[in-house]
Amino acid sequence: MPDLVWFIVRRLFAALIVMLALSLAVYLVFYAIPADPAHLACGKPCTPDRLEQARHFMQLDQSTLQQYLNFLKGIVAGRTFGDGAAAVHCNAPCFGYSFPLARPVTTLIMDRLPITASIALGAAVLWLLLGVSLGVIAALNRGRILDRLAVGVALLGVSTPSFLLGLLAILVFGFWLNMVPVNGYVPLTESPVDWAWHLITPWIVLAILQAASYIRLTRSQMLEELNLDYITTARAKGAGELRVVVTHGLRGVLVPVITLFGLDLGGLLGGAILTEKVFSMQGLGDLLISAVGQLDVAVVVGVTLFSAFLIILANLVVDVVHGVLDPRVSHG
Amino acid sequence: MSDELLNLKDVKKYFGLRGAPWRKAQSVRAVDGVNLVVRKGETVGLVGESGSGKSTLARVATRLLDPTQGRVEIGGTDVTRLRGRRLRPIRRQIQMVFQDPQASLNPRQSVGTILSTPYRAQGIRPTRAQLVELLEQVGLAEQHLERYPHEFSGGQRQRIGIARALAMKPGLLVCDEPVSALDVSVQAQVLNLLADLRDELGLSYVLVAHDLAVVRQVADRIAVMYLGTIVEEGPAAQVYEAPAHPYTKALLSAVPVPEPGVSRDRIVLTGDVPTPINPPSGCPFRTRCYKAEDVCATERPVLEPVQGSTEHRAACYFPEPPTSERKQ
Amino acid sequence: MAEPVLEVHDLHVTFSTEGGLVPAVDGIDFAVAPGETLAIVGESGSGKSVSSAAVMGLLPSNADVTGEVLLDGRELIGLPNDELRKIRGNDIAMVFQDALSALNPYYSVGWQVAEAYRLHHDVSKKKAHQRAIEMLDKVGIPDAARRADGYPHEFSGGMRQRVVIAMALVNDPRVLIADEPTTALDVTVQAQIMQLLEDVQAEFGTAMVLISHDLGVVAEVADDVLVMYAGRAAERGTVRDLFYRAAHPYSLGLLGAMPRVDVPPKLRLTTIPGSPPTPGSITTGCAFQPRCAYTDRVGERCITERPELTPRPGEGDHEAACHLGRRPSDV
Repeated sequence: MPDLVWFIVRRLFAALIVMLALSLAVYLVFYAIPADPAHLACGKPCTPDRLEQARHFMQLDQSTLQQYLNFLKGIVAGRTFGDGAAAVHCNAPCFGYSFPLARPVTTLIMDRLPITASIALGAAVLWLLLGVSLGVIAALNRGRILDRLAVGVALLGVSTPSFLLGLLAILVFGFWLNMVPVNGYVPLTESPVDWAWHLITPWIVLAILQAASYIRLTRSQMLEELNLDYITTARAKGAGELRVVVTHGLRGVLVPVITLFGLDLGGLLGGAILTEKVFSMQGLGDLLISAVGQLDVAVVVGVTLFSAFLIILANLVVDVVHGVLDPRVSHG
Repeated sequence: MSDELLNLKDVKKYFGLRGAPWRKAQSVRAVDGVNLVVRKGETVGLVGESGSGKSTLARVATRLLDPTQGRVEIGGTDVTRLRGRRLRPIRRQIQMVFQDPQASLNPRQSVGTILSTPYRAQGIRPTRAQLVELLEQVGLAEQHLERYPHEFSGGQRQRIGIARALAMKPGLLVCDEPVSALDVSVQAQVLNLLADLRDELGLSYVLVAHDLAVVRQVADRIAVMYLGTIVEEGPAAQVYEAPAHPYTKALLSAVPVPEPGVSRDRIVLTGDVPTPINPPSGCPFRTRCYKAEDVCATERPVLEPVQGSTEHRAACYFPEPPTSERKQ
Repeated sequence: MAEPVLEVHDLHVTFSTEGGLVPAVDGIDFAVAPGETLAIVGESGSGKSVSSAAVMGLLPSNADVTGEVLLDGRELIGLPNDELRKIRGNDIAMVFQDALSALNPYYSVGWQVAEAYRLHHDVSKKKAHQRAIEMLDKVGIPDAARRADGYPHEFSGGMRQRVVIAMALVNDPRVLIADEPTTALDVTVQAQIMQLLEDVQAEFGTAMVLISHDLGVVAEVADDVLVMYAGRAAERGTVRDLFYRAAHPYSLGLLGAMPRVDVPPKLRLTTIPGSPPTPGSITTGCAFQPRCAYTDRVGERCITERPELTPRPGEGDHEAACHLGRRPSDV
């Protein structure tokens, strides 16, 4: 369907404009802060001369607008800071260069992404399964003990701060019971078992926190769904309860759930800041937080843009999936 | 002419329609060129099936919707482009009664508050006596003023809706399916009430309904709509006894009659009403018409006098002959 | 009348709600034979739709159903859900008022008809799909093989109702319950659908229970009529009994209140004062008494004693539940 392709192209173009505006905004905000990144770079003792040198090297002596244009140009053509032997190259697409970390931002993001993605994707699968199944069980047992229990779990999940639950999990399962490693990350390519074993606690913690809203959404959607006429039709056709619920009821529930899921996952892939901190995982969230502390504008802009891109992408994917799930949209 | 309460001139109303975000917006021709005059003291029945545009036309006539094209004259004044404050005096002359009294009455307001809304919209504080008079006009009583909509039955709620419409003493009431949400026994009460109010207050009505029997009970003049246009118009008795447009004829013949064992010559139309997004060329009814010929696809037929009557008009290339000739 | 396929005796349905017990159906009897149509007529809250849902065992869990529902002499009330499931859609099928909401928007219409077939036949998906196309074709959906892949929203109101009918008839049920099957349709389409129902009934010998508030429709298709008021039977008889010899003041009121398209309008419609009672507000005596024009002629009895269905002398199976011995029109 060429319509769909055209739609995606249009949306991606819109995304580009949004990201341009966003990057400009981040630049302006950071230059409004009365602190000088060059100060940190020049170290101690920092003479006015060295400071000036650092400024020039980092191209901070140019106007804010010029710096922003340099940034844009770097994406297309790459950038070089300084000259001669001391020159630092950042190949295209260059989303900036981190002087404190002495690496191009692109490389930094690509290094950290697998960690964040591992946390987010694993947790996402768990919370989706947990949230939807508990939500369905709650709806089917409306008003009874299982319903109250699920709603209670949801309430607890929504109201518990993630660091509290995370620290508690580390304390109980890591130290007291000594069941799981308390920190560290093992790449999937190295050892899938160790990878999963190191991630299991953050997955569960994150899943419990996130599942809460899915339980509530699934429950209310399912209750609504079960009152619809076509559910009665399914029963009148002679369908058993399981078929009524799963085949006829769940489909309608999934549409809003997938929407929420896409947006949550998109947001989380941009960095699960608290979870990463608690479990000492060097993901994107960790990268961003350290960068803010060090006034590492290049990294802040890079990670912010990357997160924004993921959220915009998630929105787009959700819209397309919505069309696939609901024939009323795609066969309009 | 001073007795013209409402004059619609070549009114069109198109709606934009969106499907999936990646699809082109389409336009629905809900009303596609309608001329209609309502004179003082008369009840015009606007009938048609779903998608005929009758409800949209009613909303354009009361200026709840802006026409895409054409002219709306109320009481001889062109009100097509009037808005907001300047529309207020017009609202005194023409009022609307809606189908679903449940949905059109604010559940959090008492009947008294509901009835005083039209006054306050005009910057007037109604007296209790005025509100009581309104209630009594529709067969309710003072004790109902403090109650809330949910405390009433469907029929009573529709009475409240009518009372609210009467507050500004309008000359014309546009009723959109006023009884279709009601039970048969209650429907008759409301129809009788409408007839009584017409006699007492000299009201005029535009009665929009899909139920042809309901319209026959109250209307003096009938306009039959199909796909956004009026296909037949005339005095009620003539239209019902001797329909000239094949659509009207089929429509009337399709209405079941409460007489078991009496067989009727039913014209069962095939298919459904085409979509108003892409109406057929020429005569909109030709795709389902049992009389259609090539000429019907060329140009849309205009309303022309039929059966030797100046008031009875149909938009058809092959109108039915008068009943007397049919029998031969 | 031939041997009835569906018999209902002394059916009671009571809902337990927060406000207490609400009797929705308070002892009704009816029967319908193969090829025959029984119309259940009544206004909102009369219990007509609840009765049909009770027959299908489709009421929510807060409904208490007592009495007898016999399908070919087999008691359905109290049957375990698994047994009932085999009967639903297979022996007794249902057509609903609003086809758009009765069809699942997420599945193609062919799939939905095929599902109804597969639920009661152990056949391959492909075979069921073929059967669905056959059925869609039978109910008059043009180009059925292609249209079967369409989704409900892509069909017009009339075509959707045809799909629902195809779905109901795919297993060749003995009884078809049609709950206001044409109420949501335009009158020209209504004529098509009623014609279709009559045709398939004639072809398959299906017994039909037609639930309707539209006396015109009832007059055209019903053989027998049960008039319900406030959960009870007000009158029962052949369709001619009701329309030409109405014996209950309520039936008479309904007929008088109905505007007609085929005759010049009356100056005023006869009306029934007040509105139908909400379920649960039934008291002793006759439920219609507060609205009845004839109660003065009977007196106290209408308030104190509940009238039972009594045969009308010399009129066969025609029965009315009214203390007024004579026909209202003769009074």
